[in-house]
Amino acid sequence: METLNFLMQGFDVATRPTNLLVALFGAFVGTIVGMLPGLGPINGVALLLPLAFALGLPPETALILLAAVYLGCEYGGRISAILLNVPGCAASVMTSLDGNPLARQGKAGIALSLSAMSSFVGSMIATCGVILFAPLLAKWAVAFGPAEYFVMMIFAIACLGGMVGDKPVKTLMAALIGLGLATVGVDSTTGVYRFTFGSVSLSDGIQFIIVVIGFFSVSEVLLMLEKTHSGQQAVKAGGRLLFNFKEFCFTFWTMVRSGLAGFVIGTLPGAGATIASAMTYMSEKRMAGAGGKFGEGDLRGLAAPEAANNASACGSLIPMLTLGVPGSGTTAVMIGALTLYNITPGPLLFEQQPDVVWGLIASLLIGNVILLAMNIPLVGLFSKMLSVPNWVLVPAITAISMVGVYAVHSTTFDLVLMIGLGVFGYILRKLDFPLSAIILGFVLGELMEDNLRRALSISAGELSILWSSPISLCLWGLTALMLGMPALRKWRARRGAQPANA
Amino acid sequence: MYVRLFAASWLLLCACLAVLAWGFQAPFAYDPVGPRAYPLLLLSLMAAASLWLLYKPDLLAQRFNPKAALRALLCVLTLLAYALLFEVLGFVIATALGAFALGLLFTGRLLPCAISGLLMGVLLYSLFDLLLDVPLPLGLFEAFVES
Repeated sequence: METLNFLMQGFDVATRPTNLLVALFGAFVGTIVGMLPGLGPINGVALLLPLAFALGLPPETALILLAAVYLGCEYGGRISAILLNVPGCAASVMTSLDGNPLARQGKAGIALSLSAMSSFVGSMIATCGVILFAPLLAKWAVAFGPAEYFVMMIFAIACLGGMVGDKPVKTLMAALIGLGLATVGVDSTTGVYRFTFGSVSLSDGIQFIIVVIGFFSVSEVLLMLEKTHSGQQAVKAGGRLLFNFKEFCFTFWTMVRSGLAGFVIGTLPGAGATIASAMTYMSEKRMAGAGGKFGEGDLRGLAAPEAANNASACGSLIPMLTLGVPGSGTTAVMIGALTLYNITPGPLLFEQQPDVVWGLIASLLIGNVILLAMNIPLVGLFSKMLSVPNWVLVPAITAISMVGVYAVHSTTFDLVLMIGLGVFGYILRKLDFPLSAIILGFVLGELMEDNLRRALSISAGELSILWSSPISLCLWGLTALMLGMPALRKWRARRGAQPANA
Repeated sequence: MYVRLFAASWLLLCACLAVLAWGFQAPFAYDPVGPRAYPLLLLSLMAAASLWLLYKPDLLAQRFNPKAALRALLCVLTLLAYALLFEVLGFVIATALGAFALGLLFTGRLLPCAISGLLMGVLLYSLFDLLLDVPLPLGLFEAFVES
C-alpha cells in the first residue's frame, strides 16, 4: 500500500509538463541514437548529460531524460537491425537474426510493429519488477556498512569479468584502468595530490563527462572512419504495417518469458542487455525445437530478444537505485550524472529523495507508452533518418561532444584531454578491451576507495573486517564463483562439444 | 602481437606510476590506509593482468592496415586542431572548419561539406549559446560584440 502511495507521488512528479516534455524529447532522441549504427545507449546518455547539466534541469528531470534516452535506444536499435541487418546497438544483434529475414520477406511492417510491442511488454514487466522489488532491496541494503559495500563493488566488477565471457582478463584489466583513472586528483581524505603531474586542471580529478565523451564519442568517430557505409540497402517498410491478433497471441508467452528472464539478468550487476537478449533467444530456440524457423524469420525469434533487452535495461536500474552500484555501462553513466547533482544513489535515496526515485519509476511507465505510441506510426520517419550520411553525422557528433566537454570547465585543456582519452579508448577497442568495464570502474573507483578506507578506519587497520559479516562472506563467495565462471564454462564447453554434435 | 606490445608498455607504465605513487605520503596520518596503498594495490593488480596478457595474449583477427591508420591519424590531428582552435577562433569558425575537414575525411564532397560545416557552426551556436544558455567562446567575433 505504501508503495502505491509513493507511486502516485511519482506520477505526480512525472506528469509535470516539463517532465513529460523531457520524456518525450528523450524518447525521440533515444530512438534516433539507438537506431544509428555504432551509437548505443551510452553514447546517447553521454551526449545528453552535459545538455541536461548545462540547462540546469533539476535532478529528477535530468534522470527522467536519461532514462527515456536509455529506453529509447533499446527501442531504436531494432529498426536498423530489421531494415538494414546492421544492429543499431550491441543488444539488438539478436534481433537482426530473425528481423531482417522477415523484412526481406516483405513483412518489415509486421516485424517493426511486433518488435515494438515486445519491447513494450518487456519493459512493462521489468518496470513492475522494479516497483515491487526495489523498495524491498533498499530496506535490506540499509544494513550495508562500508566493508559490505566494498565487497559488493568487487562483486560487481567480478560479475562483469565472469559474464562478459570470452575475455575475462581483458575485462578485469579494463575495470582496473577505470579504477586507476578515478584515483587522479586530490585525495579526499588526506589532501595529497595523486597523478596530477603538477597540472592545475587535473587536481580536481578527471571530470566524469570528459571520460565518458572521450571514451565513447571520440573513439566512436575514429572507429566509424573504417566502416564506410557498406552498400546495404534499407528494406522498404511496406505491406501490412501492423501485426494481427493471431501473431500477437503466437508470441505473447515468448514476450512474457523473455521479459521475466531479461529482468532477472538485468538486475545482476555487470550483466546487461546484450547477454539477456542472447540468452533468451537461445532458450526460445531450444523450446521451439524443430518446429521453429529460427534464423529464417520466426516471429518468436524477433520477440524474445527485444522483450529481453528492454526488460534488462529497466532491471539494471534496481542495483543502481538501491545499492548505488551500476548494473551496466549506461547505468554507470547515470550514477555519474546523479553524483554531479550531489546525490549519492544508494538505499537512503528512497527515504531522502523519494521524488527522484519514484518520479523516475513512474516516468519509465509513461516513457514506455510514449515510445510505443511513437514507434508504431513514426517508423517511416525514423527509417528515413538512417540515410543521413556519415559526413554530416560525424561532424555533428564531434561538435556536440566539444560543447558538452567545454561546458564543464570552459578550458581547452579539457578538450585536449578528451581527445587523448578518445585515442586511448580507440586503441583499447582495437585490442578488444570492453570499454563499458572502464566506465564501470571509473564510477566505482572513488566509492570503492572511500569505503575501503572507511572500513579500515573503523577497524583501526584490521583487514579482517572485510570478511567478518555474513553478508560480506556471502558476497566473497559469489565473487569467487563469478571469477571461476569463465574457467568452468571453458571446461564444460570442452566436455560438451562431442555430445552436442551427435 | 599487438596485445603483447600493449601489455608490455602498460607494464612499463605501471612501474613508472608505482615509483610516482610511492611518494604519496600524507604529512599527518588521518587514517590507517593513507593515500599510497590503494593506488599501489591497483597498479600491482594491473601489472599482474599485463603479465598474464604478455604470457597468454588472445588472438586478434585484425591486421594492421597502413591506409586506415593514416586516416585515423589525420582524424586525430583534425580533432586536435579543432580543440586547440576552439577558444582562439571561437565556436562558430572552429566548428565550421572542423566539420568541413571531418566531412571531407568521411568521403563527403567539397561543396556539401563546406555548406554543412557552416550551417552546423551557426546553428549549433545559436542552439546552445543563445537558446540553451551554454556559454561558448566567441573568439574572433568578440571584437564585433564588444564595440
